[in-house]
Amino acid sequence: MTAVSIRSTSKVFNAGKPNQVEALRDVSLEVRGGEFVSLIGPSGCGKSTLLRLIANLLEPTAGEVIVNDKPAARARLDQDYGMAFQQAGLFEWRTVQKNIELPLELKGWNKAERAVRAKEMLHLVQLPEFADHHPWQLSGGMQQRIAIARALAAHPPLLLMDEPFGALDEMTREYMQGELLRICAATGTTVVFVTHSIPEAVYLSSRVVVMSPRPGRITKTVEVSLGADRNEDTRNRTAFFEAITAVREGLRGLHAAHVGRGSDER
Amino acid sequence: MSDEHVSMNLFATRLAKVLPAAAFGALFFGFWEWAVRFFDLKPYFLTAPSAIWQQFVGNFSLIRGAATVSGTNALIGLVAGIVLGVAMSFVLSRFGFLNQLITPLAVALNAVPIFVLVAVLNNMYSITSEIPRRIMVALVVYFIVLVNVARGLTEVSPTHVELMRSYAASDVAILRKVRIPNALPFLFVSLKIAAPAAVITAFVSEYFGGSQNGLGSRISSNIANSKNAVAWAYVLAACLLGLLFYAVSVVLEGFNRKGEAR
Amino acid sequence: MTSLVVRAAKRTAMFVAALALVVAIWEAYKAVGPADGGTLLGVRVLPRTSDYAMPHVWDMFSRYGRPEVRGSDRTVFAAVLAGAWYSLRLSVAGFVMGSVVGVALAVLMARFKLVQRGVLPYLVVSQTVPLIALAPLVVSWGGKLEVGPFVWPRWLSASVLGAFLAFFPIAVGTLRGLAAATATSVELMQSYAASWTTTLFKLRFPTAVPYMVPAFRLGASASVIGVVVAEISTGLKGGIGRLIIEYAREATGDPAKVYTAIFGAAALGLTMAGAVVAVDAFVMRNRPRASVS
Repeated sequence: MTAVSIRSTSKVFNAGKPNQVEALRDVSLEVRGGEFVSLIGPSGCGKSTLLRLIANLLEPTAGEVIVNDKPAARARLDQDYGMAFQQAGLFEWRTVQKNIELPLELKGWNKAERAVRAKEMLHLVQLPEFADHHPWQLSGGMQQRIAIARALAAHPPLLLMDEPFGALDEMTREYMQGELLRICAATGTTVVFVTHSIPEAVYLSSRVVVMSPRPGRITKTVEVSLGADRNEDTRNRTAFFEAITAVREGLRGLHAAHVGRGSDER
Repeated sequence: MSDEHVSMNLFATRLAKVLPAAAFGALFFGFWEWAVRFFDLKPYFLTAPSAIWQQFVGNFSLIRGAATVSGTNALIGLVAGIVLGVAMSFVLSRFGFLNQLITPLAVALNAVPIFVLVAVLNNMYSITSEIPRRIMVALVVYFIVLVNVARGLTEVSPTHVELMRSYAASDVAILRKVRIPNALPFLFVSLKIAAPAAVITAFVSEYFGGSQNGLGSRISSNIANSKNAVAWAYVLAACLLGLLFYAVSVVLEGFNRKGEAR
Repeated sequence: MTSLVVRAAKRTAMFVAALALVVAIWEAYKAVGPADGGTLLGVRVLPRTSDYAMPHVWDMFSRYGRPEVRGSDRTVFAAVLAGAWYSLRLSVAGFVMGSVVGVALAVLMARFKLVQRGVLPYLVVSQTVPLIALAPLVVSWGGKLEVGPFVWPRWLSASVLGAFLAFFPIAVGTLRGLAAATATSVELMQSYAASWTTTLFKLRFPTAVPYMVPAFRLGASASVIGVVVAEISTGLKGGIGRLIIEYAREATGDPAKVYTAIFGAAALGLTMAGAVVAVDAFVMRNRPRASVS
């Protein structure tokens, strides 16, 4: 089953005005159910824009985006995905539990149902004792775990993540990667994950999609053959390093070409 | 895009920003004028803008005289308040204990309508003196400036202070090179609050008796005599005076910011 | 919890000490200052030190206990208390009206950019313009207004003026707060396909609270000022403003009395401020320490 289908999609900002930007050009991508796909590329390559097209927070200028076999707009209205951002974006005036309940409130769940589901999610991210705390009492990593709990609270089939671990230190980051894999395995969620970090992309994904600098296109796809069971040892395996090298070459090739061309293009 | 195109776009954008406000203003005064005529409203109820303008122009020399009296009181009080406020803030920044003593008092006074002190100030000086009003304005301005500038002098970046200490800089040097530049924006911001406050206090002080030459007393006496259009003309003068003070403070702030990054 | 109490106690002690300092300076000047007033740098700014011009502080306080007028049963304390209580109720009414209008206007401006661009410049300018000048006008209007069976009570003019002064800072502060939601939070609500109204109540208003707190404080003191000025410029009976004017007129024979009313006005202002601060503390109880003013 195809979770996300992006067909010949382009996105141009401020079309016709002096500050026009072609963010994405003719991008096509298929994500199968249960897959973990990372989007990686230099700054400005349009990976966050692509993610927002899937989330229907932006409309494509050309092409179509199908999510869960529906147009992206319908999928958003039906709440078929959960989203996590670089800032956890928790509401500081709500307790941790109430933060997780937010999407459920908006879906009209009653108080008892919300509490049950929220507690279940807290257990999933292993923070049950913090239900009545406030976000500012938690560390950055813990806040992101709550954000993930919130994103999955309604058990959506798809999880969209925009560099969620970007603001965390390296050790917390590696821990969170492990946690994310565990959670996704438990829930069977499809994940589209945007990142800057090559090791992170390789560790988490079954497929790494490399994007070119603006205007963004998909230039290379690296299949990561590390299997489903990943742990700390995975980072020492040869296949891990090989995949990293493949991704790096993909990025570097583009980068060199871009730098070489840089002075000619506007 | 051609240069012409770009500058046209810029002009259009600027126009778009100003247009709603200008349109709203025009609509407001237009409706006002029309309502008075259409409903044949009596002057004691609502005076038409045209009638107000007529009275303003007709009585201009009288109005200007009254505005000068109130304006002078406001200006003298403003300057005195700023000088005293800045001086005191230096003292407070030097003696932290005094700061702890004075600041809660200043904060509390912020909530209190201290202009009522004019009632007793009038008793302390001769009946025709303008001093009580100037003192009142100075007092109001003093507290505004004091609180803000003291903050500016004391709330400096710890990193900057650490840097200066690593240069073995004296307290005076730190004052000159770190605290005062930090406090300047606070001074000008407080000026933008204090200038209109000075004008308002100058008017309100006139309601407590004493000489009746200022705008505030003219407004009430004209109302009392049912000469509403004239009263409104004085109100217009009062608004213009307040705007003038504010505009000057904005310009001064602009001079201060010339060196800042945009 | 105890540290909070200790801090509050320390601040109150400082406040009392500051007041004591002011009293000390007053009495000291009375003792050593020039009897007929004097000049400072050529300007006649120093007041006379006679008991008429500057009553002793203890005279001011003892005045509270004695009757208001010779032969009257009511003490000055009772009179001032009644006046302050009257003005307080008017100020609260003005504050409530001003808050409703201010917040409604802010929501309108947040929702419709066109309204914001048209109205906000006038709001900003109005804060610099002495609306106080309108006080006698507003009161005279109210006095002549009669809509059907409804006769405009005189006190309502004072409250309206209070509301008039209060709603500007409240509108401006609330608008700032409504615009303060982070881009991430807004995107989050969009990803939930939440309507503008839902986003308003679940995100924008809670985010705005730290901005509304200082705005409401300003609005509260603005309301008091509006009410007192209205009372003074029109002689509205029953309020503290009128009392101050009356007592000031009697100052020739009774110089200490006017101070009692002034302290009453101060107490009025502090009570309003205190109430707003208490509500603020309650509303912000679950928030991290940082303030936004």
